Amino acid sequence: MTPSRTGIILRVTVLALLGAIWLVPVYLLLANAGKTVGNYSGSTLWQPGSLTDLWDNLRQVATGTDIPRALANTAVYSVVAPAIAVVLGATVGFAVIVLKLRNGFLWFFVIYCGSVFPLQMLVIPLFDSYSRLGLYDSLTGMVLIYSIVCLPFSAFVMRNFFAGIAESVFEAAVVDGAKTLRIFTTIYLPMSSSALAVVFILQATWVWNDLLLGLILTQSDTTRPVMPVLTGLQSTEGGGASYTVVLAAAILVSLPTALLFLVSQRYFAKGLALGQY
Amino acid sequence: MLLVFYLPVLYTFYLSFTEYNGLGTPEFVGVDNFAAMFGDSAFLGAVRNTMIWVVGTLVLPVGLGLLVAVLAYGFRGSGWLRLPFLVPYALSGVAVGVIWSFMLGSGGALTQALQFLNLPGTELRWLQDSPLNTVVMVIAAAWQGVGVNALLFTVGLQSIPKEPLEAARIDGATGWRLFSTITWPLLRPSTTVVVGLSIVNGLKTFDVVQAMTQGGPARSSETLALTMYRDTFVNSDYGLGSAVAIFLSVVTVGASIIYLRRQLSLSSASLGGGK
Amino acid sequence: MKTLKLPAGLATVVVTALLATACGGEANDAGATTGELAFAHNKPWDFDAFSKVSKQDIDISLKSTQYSGDPYRAFIRQSFRTKESPGLFTWEVSTALDELAEQGVIAETTDLWTEAVEKGYVSDAVRQLYTVDGKQYCTPISVDNWVMFYNKAIFTKYGLSVPTTWDELMQVAATLKQRGVTPFWNQTKNFSFVWFQTLLAGTDLRLYNDLSTGKAKYTDPRVVAVMNNWLELQKKGYFNDPGQTDFARDLMREGKIAMAPEGTWFTADAALAGMTMGKDVDMFVIPAVTPGAATPIAIETAPVCVGESSKQKSLGLKFSQWWMSPQGQQPWVKQQGNLPFNSDAEAPTPQMKALKSKLAAGKYEYYNRYFEATPVPIRTVALEQFSAFLTNRGDPMPYLTAIQAAADEYWAGR
Repeated sequence: MTPSRTGIILRVTVLALLGAIWLVPVYLLLANAGKTVGNYSGSTLWQPGSLTDLWDNLRQVATGTDIPRALANTAVYSVVAPAIAVVLGATVGFAVIVLKLRNGFLWFFVIYCGSVFPLQMLVIPLFDSYSRLGLYDSLTGMVLIYSIVCLPFSAFVMRNFFAGIAESVFEAAVVDGAKTLRIFTTIYLPMSSSALAVVFILQATWVWNDLLLGLILTQSDTTRPVMPVLTGLQSTEGGGASYTVVLAAAILVSLPTALLFLVSQRYFAKGLALGQY
Repeated sequence: MLLVFYLPVLYTFYLSFTEYNGLGTPEFVGVDNFAAMFGDSAFLGAVRNTMIWVVGTLVLPVGLGLLVAVLAYGFRGSGWLRLPFLVPYALSGVAVGVIWSFMLGSGGALTQALQFLNLPGTELRWLQDSPLNTVVMVIAAAWQGVGVNALLFTVGLQSIPKEPLEAARIDGATGWRLFSTITWPLLRPSTTVVVGLSIVNGLKTFDVVQAMTQGGPARSSETLALTMYRDTFVNSDYGLGSAVAIFLSVVTVGASIIYLRRQLSLSSASLGGGK
Repeated sequence: MKTLKLPAGLATVVVTALLATACGGEANDAGATTGELAFAHNKPWDFDAFSKVSKQDIDISLKSTQYSGDPYRAFIRQSFRTKESPGLFTWEVSTALDELAEQGVIAETTDLWTEAVEKGYVSDAVRQLYTVDGKQYCTPISVDNWVMFYNKAIFTKYGLSVPTTWDELMQVAATLKQRGVTPFWNQTKNFSFVWFQTLLAGTDLRLYNDLSTGKAKYTDPRVVAVMNNWLELQKKGYFNDPGQTDFARDLMREGKIAMAPEGTWFTADAALAGMTMGKDVDMFVIPAVTPGAATPIAIETAPVCVGESSKQKSLGLKFSQWWMSPQGQQPWVKQQGNLPFNSDAEAPTPQMKALKSKLAAGKYEYYNRYFEATPVPIRTVALEQFSAFLTNRGDPMPYLTAIQAAADEYWAGR
């Protein structure tokens, strides 16, 4: 597509305006995280904070809370689990669409339904079975559950992405004498790299921001992810962290995911070229 | 996978026919929980609110997501324009909760801004009056969800083959006509994903409401997921909570079957995949 | 829907299996009385710092994990069926405690209490809150009194003195209102009970107690009268907007409200907002609405409990005993800046000392805070209805009827 110059200018303007509106609420968080306790007031929320105070608050988060240690655990979960889910999801999609697995739709649907049941109801029985299986409070257990929770979305997106790829691609490869596994790894996976990336990024963000599973299924410093810690900071009845520090913590914890989206923009540009062929 | 997911589901199914407080042994009570559930006026309110959520989730985040994806597609640097929409999704639940409490609280940022700009609406109580509270929370959720949908639509746009577009353009199709006759039909796999997910997510709406109103005041903004949560986690009435969970799941699966069966068979047939 | 048939057959098998393994509460106490104690809690307090004290004193350190929100309760309940039953955990002295005790999943602490009350560590009034069917369970880590905190600068500015009767309090409120300062703090949701409790217990403590035990009805004309009194205060503009999500401590620091009824733990909140006790804020006992022989004071107590089937039962009980004794209580209140429940322990600040001696000298009657005194399913509805009452001011009857419906259902099932 090569749209006209005026068309692009118009589109950029609309998007920039809309984007600015989108960022307004985020400003509130930034502004108030950059205030001291004395400067913060519910009636002057729009007033900007100062960078020095923001830095001070961030430093308090880094030195005075358990957030940094918990971030390391969360980083492991949100890299490993989505990676597993993406590969598994692509395999399911490939098997259902390209290999036309018998009862493929049924299998797909069973996996898809995994995303239907509310997580809140899963977590307590899960805690029970995890404790019996020795998976409670373990890295393995957390990676396992996050992978499983991410799988339905991954399978759903990949299945539909593969459905959009012409069947002739597969047939041509078969005629060339390539084995199924090779077709999958050398043709289908590279072709869908942008879809894989999107699924990975979205799921990594989901895992990063999960509160409930981490809250119930872990207890040690070495396994507990960051969201239960951050949420814990929020309750201050009779002690705890000051409010603007909590706001700074909320920002700090969101930086890696925001950065992930930022960095991946370059990758999408590449994916764009691939998708176009 | 099956074990981890479906065992708790079966267990919940079983609990929905019992009276159980999380201690001791569940006591079988037949369909009492379901009778109690349907007889509760707050449950019916939750059904109504959940329907508002589904419709809202289908209209706002999906529509705006598509708009952003289409506008920000096909020229260099367009990825940067998508970025502001993705920031809300990257934020943690705590950050989102805080932001919208700031915005919508009594005398909060929104009211302050309206006052400053001399605009009407300062007297509105965003979170206290129903159904206004549900409507503004749908908007808050849309704020968070648009970016993801835009991204999924973008991937879809990328996978559209070039030839039909070229052919149509040679035939003189541009702008809206090009979009509605060529792009939109070819986007179907992505639309299926986005709409399918939106239905499920709309039905399961929980986080935003829990953070903002906890379903109040007097349960007026409760969704089904909140009803389930309230019964189970606040009141420890596991049987009743499980009944709501089962009802919610059945509705979600039903909606998914109706939607996916049509969409997937259509896309499979037209594109030669599937069964 | 063919898919669901096969699993449905499996369901019965699986559920039976789950149940069979579920009831395994055998004794697995390792018997250790020193070492690292697993401590699950939902408080924002610094237990790591306190762990250093206990480590030095009795060679037990705390491995604490902070939880938050409602799933905490479900997690603890489920933990008794697993091998993860914590050696020590925080709970609440409501019907949620009765349930655990009745089910036999928490360790009895009658011996600890007998000793503590005999030695004068804790009052018998507090013991009552930890008693289920004549036996005690859990031990307190704090007992807070609910008093009125006030902004000293505002009181000084308008020449107001601390009220000692309800009429004086109303006088103060009227003056403040006239000067454009909102007298009292209130809030919907979890804190919506505060003024109901203050007004009802202050008017008729017996009625308050009857209400929490199901002997009186929420639709009782006397309760309705209290609600109307509350409504009248609201209409006079004595409260801030209850929908405001701002913290009471911030509103008080900014001088937007003059007074807030809070537990004595609010001293820590005041410090968080940058206020100094004695200089910026102070507290006074809330006078009774209807003066009687004794002034009612709400108490709020945070218990820690020990799982009966926990591997660390002995360790947990040892720690509980120590925490309740002056050896544990003294460093704890010092860390928290709070009022000690142990009459031998010294109050950590001049303000707490003043409050302590005032309470020791006068005649006061203590009652359990509404949040804990009310059975949980009734409380859930009551908090929702009080919030609605605050949001949509008007005839209290519909709200009370809704609460009473929940109460009827609860008491019928007992």
